[in-house]
Amino acid sequence: MHRLIERARGKVDEAELYWKREHTISVRYENYRLQGITEDELSSVALRVIADGRLGTTYGVDPDRTGLIEEARQAARFGDEAGFSFAGVADYKPVENYDKTSETLKSADLVDLCESVKERIGRIRPDIPLFIVAGTLRRDLVVETTNGASGRDTSTRVSLGFGGPIKGAGIGVYKSTASVSPIEVDQELVDEFLEWYGWTENKSTPKTGRLPVILAPEAAYLYLLPLSVGLSGDAVEKGTSPLIDRLGEEVLSERLSVIDDPLRDRDPGARPFDDEGVPCRRRALVEKGILRDYLIDLRTGGALGRDSTGNGLKRQLFGGGTETRPNPWPVNITVEPGEVSYREMISSLDEGLLVTGGMGFHSGNYPQGDFAVQAIGFHIKNGKVIGRLDRTMISANIYKDLKNVRSVSKERRLGFGGMLPGGPVPYVLVDSLRVAGK
Amino acid sequence: MKERLARIVADLPADYADIRYEENRKTRISYRGKKLEQISSYATSGGHIRVYAKGGKATASFTDPGNIGKIADASLASAKLASAGRDRPLRLADGPVVTGEFPVSPKLDPRELRLEEKLELLRHYNDLILKSPEVLTSEAEYDEFGSKRLFVNSEGSIVEYELLNVGIFGLIVTKRGNLVQRVRFAFGGNEDSSRLQDRDEELIERIEMARRLLDASPPRAGIYPVILDPDEAAVFIHEAFGHLSEADGLQNNPAFREKLRIGTKLGREILNVTDDPTIPGHPGSYEIDDEGVLGAKTRLITGGILTGRLHSRETAAEFDEPLSGNMRAVDAHFTPIVRMSNIFIEPGTSSFDEMIASIDDGYYLIGARGGQTSGDQFTFGAQWGYRIENGRIGGMIRDINMSGELFSTLSAISMIGDDLAFGERGGCGKGMPMQLNRKSGKGAPHIKIDRVTLGGV
Repeated sequence: MHRLIERARGKVDEAELYWKREHTISVRYENYRLQGITEDELSSVALRVIADGRLGTTYGVDPDRTGLIEEARQAARFGDEAGFSFAGVADYKPVENYDKTSETLKSADLVDLCESVKERIGRIRPDIPLFIVAGTLRRDLVVETTNGASGRDTSTRVSLGFGGPIKGAGIGVYKSTASVSPIEVDQELVDEFLEWYGWTENKSTPKTGRLPVILAPEAAYLYLLPLSVGLSGDAVEKGTSPLIDRLGEEVLSERLSVIDDPLRDRDPGARPFDDEGVPCRRRALVEKGILRDYLIDLRTGGALGRDSTGNGLKRQLFGGGTETRPNPWPVNITVEPGEVSYREMISSLDEGLLVTGGMGFHSGNYPQGDFAVQAIGFHIKNGKVIGRLDRTMISANIYKDLKNVRSVSKERRLGFGGMLPGGPVPYVLVDSLRVAGK
Repeated sequence: MKERLARIVADLPADYADIRYEENRKTRISYRGKKLEQISSYATSGGHIRVYAKGGKATASFTDPGNIGKIADASLASAKLASAGRDRPLRLADGPVVTGEFPVSPKLDPRELRLEEKLELLRHYNDLILKSPEVLTSEAEYDEFGSKRLFVNSEGSIVEYELLNVGIFGLIVTKRGNLVQRVRFAFGGNEDSSRLQDRDEELIERIEMARRLLDASPPRAGIYPVILDPDEAAVFIHEAFGHLSEADGLQNNPAFREKLRIGTKLGREILNVTDDPTIPGHPGSYEIDDEGVLGAKTRLITGGILTGRLHSRETAAEFDEPLSGNMRAVDAHFTPIVRMSNIFIEPGTSSFDEMIASIDDGYYLIGARGGQTSGDQFTFGAQWGYRIENGRIGGMIRDINMSGELFSTLSAISMIGDDLAFGERGGCGKGMPMQLNRKSGKGAPHIKIDRVTLGGV
């Protein structure tokens, strides 16, 4: 138990320490040139207390700094009734999220990794102004409470991303991968990048109307973020979620199962407990289209009269960090695979879209399940990609349009373009979405 | 500390080195609906070092200044390693050696007000929202960020400067049946707390808009002439053009460098765009940047022609263009990146009435609601708007998203109003990792764009 928690006993009703230390190295190449190397060593602390039944929070960089408890107690003077207790004694299930060899990676190793990507792509397409980012992270997380929760976790994550802007367009083609362990360059990923980049030579604008759309793993956030916001106990408590009172109902296609799987070994998002020290566990959120459960943290649990589901994370829709208070989010969201290959999906379409991303998501009405974005991706005709999408908007309400899914791919990738931490997600062929083009 | 850090960078056998050390105090109070979600006032500290050696660059952020000697040595080694991965060395444009202090001096200093007073003011505005009919919920946040920064570099610059920003902003959420609508508000955005006071009337107007949106319809999808109000026009110029004038994004993108050569015609003669940290009182106002370079006014577009760009010392050398003083880091966790200060479209000569009268079939879009760009593609929302039919303002519209391609859209700006106004919201996200800046100012008059793609039904 950290000294700060010991010291807090008797001074406040309850206390919770969140202490994160991160050591990161990252190497960045731009247009085939090494642009810079970054090595950060950062510590951050959040202390929450409940004093006279009220919640107070303060932040800092060092848990041994004097005055933290007093600062949090002062904040609690103005705070609202807590309405919940901090986490108590719990058994955390072990999960493989640490690899010692990742920790020993040096910047020179990451330079080698980037050089390998540079070599493989550069010999085929030296004209692409390629950027490459490789990084390694070791994170030590401590979450301890005066109620006996004692979470200590060390995790590692190695990541690699590369991409290139498309000439004459404002967008690019990007691919990324991450692992708990040191990574090798995956030739399949390189080949897919080169294939996708090749598809961008021509541009094409579909006619306005409804068309079938394949949502690539990179674009999965278009439906998983609205879903996560809708599933959030916060939206349930506030009354803004469109999923209120719909447990057991079909909210998505029966082909879709969305699982929050924090205990999936070796996923870069795997972890044994959440940012409030509550044990994480595997849970179906939507199972074969049926809404199974919401995401609950301590605070929303208190308000809704139920237990935390281990989904209290210091995240916001975009960003987050130590100074963000815990909110309900999926820890490691995954979507179950299907039977078809994504190439079969493409060849099955007379006309359709392969969407790999979107622009303008955050100005849409996502809390209600809507998205309306400028589509990034490809136009398919007669079973073949004919070019990249140009001036094409797609819009949908996920609870209407994703009720009709034709197929789900057997291939899965880590997706989301960094929008959500998560595990593997397949390609999803949606029967039709609204497309505004020509 | 000052002398110690100065000695470390001076003694490091590098082409160039600098250290920024910060002591920050943040006060954040937030309501969601009736619930006070957070109230805290706290201190953080940390530093950031940048080292250029043999034409390579390395940076490091650190929490514990005790280790700085070791970190400096490691950064030097990384910079040398980085130099091997380049065929062309990185250089820095010559910058003046700056020594001195740049404090802020607000009329009403938020740092001198008690936490109770800040809470009281926020609660007052939040209550005003919640007691209105058809309001489902609210979000209201008080955000104060004060930063005392020390900057030293190996050339002899030793600067102490302050940043201070205080604002109240939030969201009004209305609901009828299944329809939920949102309208934002923002007060403040500079160092002066007096600007947060006595804003009831404007807030009540916003609440009324959020209610009226419940009777509005979505626009019809298609391509239209539109008029953007100053808030929306300011976000348009920030998102769609401003980010492309940040040289670090262009540095390694040959296609865009070619497209954005100085002297390129980007718009009609009426279009003038400027970035200026030296005008006081806006979110992006400052005297010196986080690279020790004094902030300067930059004419980005003059008479429709690209005339300037925003730079770091590194990009200024690369482009052989003047320094602009736009290198900024949100806090010590981050390396500075090139960012707009206060970007604005300069006022033109058209009246609002003339602009409306010039459109037979189009829309008037009001109030920014977030935006995103990727290269020359942009998309962003508006909070509400109106149909324009036969030169007259018609019914209200909701759920508005517009998108397009920068270059054709800039040249489609056909009228510019005489009513320049600056926003009080300073938000902007950029970078990998993402730096969410609250000190990014934006201004514009009303503008007319001849062709814009609107999403809708």
